[in-house]
Amino acid sequence: MVAQGVLSRVMDALDLETFLVCSSEEEGKELAIRLMKSLGFQDVDLVFIRFGGPGARIRVRAYIYRPGQDYAWVRQIDDGEKRG
Amino acid sequence: MAFERRKILLVPLDPVHDIGLKMIRRGLEQAGHQTMLLPPDLPPEEIVSIMGKEHPDHVMISRTLGYGVGEVLGRFVDLADAAGLRDKTALVVGGMAVRPELAAELGFDAGFGPGTSVEEVVAFVEGRPYQPDLAGAKKQKKDITAGYAYEYRHAGIGNLLEKIVTNILTWSEGKISPGILRSRLRDESWDVESFRQGKVSREFSEAYAQLCDPVPQAFHRKGEVHPKTRRQTDQEIARLEDYLTKTKSRMTVSKVQHVEGQPKVFIQYGTGCPFMDIAHIKVCEAWGADGVVHFDPSWGARTEGFIGGFLTHQEDGSVVTPENLSWIKAALEASTLWQVRAHRGLNTAETVVLAGKLGADLTKINIAYGSLAAGTDPARLTVDGIEAIRMAVKYKLPFDVVTNEELAGVPAHKAFAGMLIVTALGRRLGARPILQPLFSYSPEVMIGGQMINNYIDFNAAKIEALRSIIDAPLWPGAPIGFLTQTEDRVQSSMTTSLHAALAASLRVDAISIASSDEAYSGGPIIAASRVDTLQAVAEGFRFFGEGRITPTVHAQQWADEMVDKIEAVLKEVAQSPTFVEALYAGLLGSKEEGAYPGRGGRGTVTEK
Repeated sequence: MVAQGVLSRVMDALDLETFLVCSSEEEGKELAIRLMKSLGFQDVDLVFIRFGGPGARIRVRAYIYRPGQDYAWVRQIDDGEKRG
Repeated sequence: MAFERRKILLVPLDPVHDIGLKMIRRGLEQAGHQTMLLPPDLPPEEIVSIMGKEHPDHVMISRTLGYGVGEVLGRFVDLADAAGLRDKTALVVGGMAVRPELAAELGFDAGFGPGTSVEEVVAFVEGRPYQPDLAGAKKQKKDITAGYAYEYRHAGIGNLLEKIVTNILTWSEGKISPGILRSRLRDESWDVESFRQGKVSREFSEAYAQLCDPVPQAFHRKGEVHPKTRRQTDQEIARLEDYLTKTKSRMTVSKVQHVEGQPKVFIQYGTGCPFMDIAHIKVCEAWGADGVVHFDPSWGARTEGFIGGFLTHQEDGSVVTPENLSWIKAALEASTLWQVRAHRGLNTAETVVLAGKLGADLTKINIAYGSLAAGTDPARLTVDGIEAIRMAVKYKLPFDVVTNEELAGVPAHKAFAGMLIVTALGRRLGARPILQPLFSYSPEVMIGGQMINNYIDFNAAKIEALRSIIDAPLWPGAPIGFLTQTEDRVQSSMTTSLHAALAASLRVDAISIASSDEAYSGGPIIAASRVDTLQAVAEGFRFFGEGRITPTVHAQQWADEMVDKIEAVLKEVAQSPTFVEALYAGLLGSKEEGAYPGRGGRGTVTEK
């Protein structure tokens, strides 16, 4: 997926941090990944999860650019400088 | 089942990191198993060759995952398979980035990630289910006032406080207020068991309504709730019951403290919705909070009387009603301390009664703060405060005496003089007060510069000064690090953690902490932000353990100065015709310093 619009300006990845109500760590993991995919992200990973009684504190990540990819923000900044 | 000794080959497939395996080896050997630890960084072929010679029951590979590691691990599994060893030996991988699903994907029988305990691995090797050491996390409520004698360590200040207390009690004799009458009515005629059974006493409601402002009157006579609030629906209540039942069934409470004696940690709740409060409380309990403090909306303190109902709204502070408090109480784990604040308004005495009847563990009372920085008339809050302390004694509720007037600009020594007067009043009446100095970047230090160099010295000076005056429990708040937090999550958690570590180093009894949303004013704080600071405080406690933070020489100098200034203020108060006049005269905080005697309830104190 090529980053479009504002997402293309994300330097590398987008982290989402929240608390998910769930009944186990496994469920929390599944929900976290599903949440990111439901937002349209494909390259997603769970950075952190800790489960306690009411649910899980999570940090889930969507990579917009992996190292070595074509970073759209480079072009956009160049374009901006030229326009300026 | 007979013990079966296992042979385990431990393989650090990593150039340097084999600490985890060494810890596991110790655990396995203590459990009676035979282990063999290979040198780091052997190629998969050599490991498989050793497996062929040693015939271990388990091979445990440790490796920090990174580029290409998946391939190496996969190749190892393939080689073991090709050598015919795969069926005889359980293959296990562990490391910082290992997860069970990744291990299975690579062909391993099990995978252990970060946070795995040695006991968990031993249980796996022995083929039994792992049962975490729940006893280690077992928590019990602690009386944070236990062990304190409330003896004066500074004789001169002790004498002044006793003289002031005598004057206050003499002045208040025969004085009454609507707040006192309501507290006595609630104490004598409101039966908590009948309330729990849903029975409404018409007699109580009418007698109570006569002592209230129009909004509570409308509730008690016509069942109307405050216009800013709405009742929770039956469906919402049923859902809450269901949620609570499910959540409680899987609750385990953790500990924030790393060593014995570190302060008990309180969080403050008051999103406006008791249901959301309960959700947050359960999260905080799971993440180690020892206590929770109920925050009510500011209009509650300015209104004569309480309304009722299971009420929610979308503003700061959760409404104090018998139903709301009952639901909160029902949600708490047995080990959680519960504080209902009474300190500042027209319902101070009755709040203590309600809190006591509904099973609170602590309350909060401060006449000086409530009069000077929270809008209540000094005379009214003095008579109501005395009644509140008497009710706190009756219901066995220790209370903290907070010095929030520091946030208005009142210097610490004046706020402390007021706090000590209320503490001495409590001492005289047989109560168990708790000193609550602020650990904050207060206006006094912003102007005076005491925190230009560090946040340690002035806070340490406060504790040292108070300890040199009286043997009483200390519970800095509220929350610690107030005005040092920013909207940045990491900064906010970090400063809370460091203030908590300082509090632990100073050996105080309890602290109140913020969430990492403390400085955010755009909406209610969120559960994830509560977890942040609890985690951060746990790390602070872990880092310092029984270690200490050493203040600079300024701390003792400022403590000595503070004590001298407190004594000077108390001399002036003792010479004042009455305590109430001392409050009006600004002796405990002047208008120039940001303290304004309140008007709420003015003219409502009458002689019996």
